[in-house]
Amino acid sequence: MARMNRDVYAAIFLLVFTGVMFWASFDIREPDYGVLPPSVWPRVILGVLGLLSFVFLVHALRQDPDAIERADGEPTTLGGWIAYWRNPIVCFILFTGYLTLIPLIGMLSAGILFVFSLLTALGGWQPRQLFLHACIAGVAVGGMWSIFTFGLNVLLPTGEWTGF
Amino acid sequence: MIIENVGLAFGEILNVTTLMLMLVGVAAGLIAGAIPGFTIAMAVVLTLPFTFSMPATQGLATMIAVLVGGLSGGLMAGILTGIPGTPSSVATTFDGFPMARGGKPGLALGLGVWSSFFGGIISAVLLVTLAPQLAKVGLEFQPWDFFMLVMFALTITASLSGKHLIKGLIAGALGLFVRTVGEDEAVGMPRFDFGSEMLLSGFDFIAVLIGLFAFSQLLNDVRDPVLARKSLSEKGTIQARIEHWAAVKEIMGRKLLLLRSSLIGTFTGILPGAGGSVANILAYDQARKASKEPERFGKGTPEGIIAPESSNNATEGGALIILMALGIPGDVTAAVMLGALLIHDIIPSPTFIAEEPVLAYSIFISFFLANFIMLGMQSGMLRVFILVTKIRMYMLASVILGFCGIGVFALNNVDTDLWTLLWFGILGFIMRHFGFPLAPMILGVVLGNYAELNLSRAMAITTDISPFFTRPWSLFFMIIAVFSAMFPWFQAVRGKSKWTLFYLPAACFALTLPLAMMAVQNDSLPRGVIAVIVAAFGAYTLWKRAKGGWKLDAYDGHDLKEG
Repeated sequence: MARMNRDVYAAIFLLVFTGVMFWASFDIREPDYGVLPPSVWPRVILGVLGLLSFVFLVHALRQDPDAIERADGEPTTLGGWIAYWRNPIVCFILFTGYLTLIPLIGMLSAGILFVFSLLTALGGWQPRQLFLHACIAGVAVGGMWSIFTFGLNVLLPTGEWTGF
Repeated sequence: MIIENVGLAFGEILNVTTLMLMLVGVAAGLIAGAIPGFTIAMAVVLTLPFTFSMPATQGLATMIAVLVGGLSGGLMAGILTGIPGTPSSVATTFDGFPMARGGKPGLALGLGVWSSFFGGIISAVLLVTLAPQLAKVGLEFQPWDFFMLVMFALTITASLSGKHLIKGLIAGALGLFVRTVGEDEAVGMPRFDFGSEMLLSGFDFIAVLIGLFAFSQLLNDVRDPVLARKSLSEKGTIQARIEHWAAVKEIMGRKLLLLRSSLIGTFTGILPGAGGSVANILAYDQARKASKEPERFGKGTPEGIIAPESSNNATEGGALIILMALGIPGDVTAAVMLGALLIHDIIPSPTFIAEEPVLAYSIFISFFLANFIMLGMQSGMLRVFILVTKIRMYMLASVILGFCGIGVFALNNVDTDLWTLLWFGILGFIMRHFGFPLAPMILGVVLGNYAELNLSRAMAITTDISPFFTRPWSLFFMIIAVFSAMFPWFQAVRGKSKWTLFYLPAACFALTLPLAMMAVQNDSLPRGVIAVIVAAFGAYTLWKRAKGGWKLDAYDGHDLKEG
């Protein structure tokens, strides 16, 4: 297990992914027309990807685990890992929430709420900061929404609940 | 005919709306370039949604303006604060910051601004003269050649974009695979849809680009909670006035350096995968090697600013040459430009300049004009650059993430693109963390359909695969793909291993074969002469090394990294 490093995990993931996709390529229907069947090109890519992943795995297994570049302070425990990656995780969760809310409250409201929440989650929630974040979110998203809606005539999604 | 087309192109560009958009574009590019951690590619990617509803000429002029502004904006932050705004300005800080701290910030800024301008103009001249000629050569290409050109573009991008070639190649293959999801373009059969409507329609490649590049970059920028809350720059010289006249005098005294660096930039830009981030280091390195006083480099010498700044602005002219002549993007920003053209149903190919002359000349004119606008705006916006570097990264990232949502939705008015943005944002972030370069993946995504279509066309002509090896251009691209794949290995052991002595001669001899085939097949004397010159150069290099007793020379190299 001493040889296990993050490159080994990445290579194993890539090999599994390639295998699953290669298997899925047999579900592609072959039409009676056309010279190049639609499954050939993906299989060529997956073949190359599989080969490269295998070479990558061999290379990663031969590599000294200490030689793998790690960012300073990167943790090894689950708690430390969550703390280390807190900000990106928060971004992902809030963006997922944003996408879920768009059909319900519309892009303008969901956008303002998302930017405000993200600013507050990343920057802090002192009363003064809350006010500043609300202003930034309102002006930035409101401005952008106005440019697209009125300037570029793009129909941005309206909310089922709010109607705008 | 040409004059008529140029006149029409001028008419398209020289109207109030387009000029205003270009002014805004240059300003936005300058500001984006000044922000450390905000790359030019990201600025251009984020501009794309705005250009969707514009006519093609206007949209491209705006994006070119952002691009030219972005290339120049990085130097301000680099010179005044010591933190390069973009990877293209890394080498500028080596001498720009010491010169500014040494009491000459105005001269340092002037040298940067005017070198950028001259570099941009030299590459614009090369763009106008070389692109149509290269396009004529491109007319000889058949599907086998185009397919192999894409393979070469992916291989060289993988080899130049990071330390690990294998990771770059995997990223390129993943990019190609992403484009196979959904209905195939040739016969319309669903692939890898797993019963999902979203997967059946495939991934919009602009949403993929924004997710992979912009979204993941922003997450990377806010990863550290302490740095995310800090101002982007809290140090640096705030008071400065650009010394235009003194700077122009300094540059005019070093015309050869300016020309050489601009040529390095242009030809680095032509090479797929190698952008301004590579060119500025290469030009700086060459300037230092050619200087009579190399010890002055790093202490605030004008050459140390002129070389990187002229070269990084010249790269985009090079990238546009290959994009407009062959339809192959030279770097990530050119890939986005290709996306902009595709949005407007314009497919760049060797016939692009002949079929869309007004649009082609509009691109040339925009590139020239953007450089002049950039020159005028740099002085006026100096204070804005300083203010911009005071913004806290978390504020910038939050606002841009919000904008990404609106911008991506506006592309096709479908919410599935927003989910594509999120998934590819996560994928890009993980790939960055695991050390996979994103540039090959982005090129793979952009060129995936193009490669498949050409493979399909080749197979429709004949199921025999021998033309891949017997057609001169296909063989030519295959050989340089093989040698570019070996390049990281060569670079790693250069000066340490005997076989590296044979790398260059072997490449020359190998390339002689397709060049000679071209000469014979086309009855072309110039190509025959080129083949002889290449072979002679290979033989000379071999002879020189044999004469030197096959001794290994110490190599003081530099790293080539993704921008």
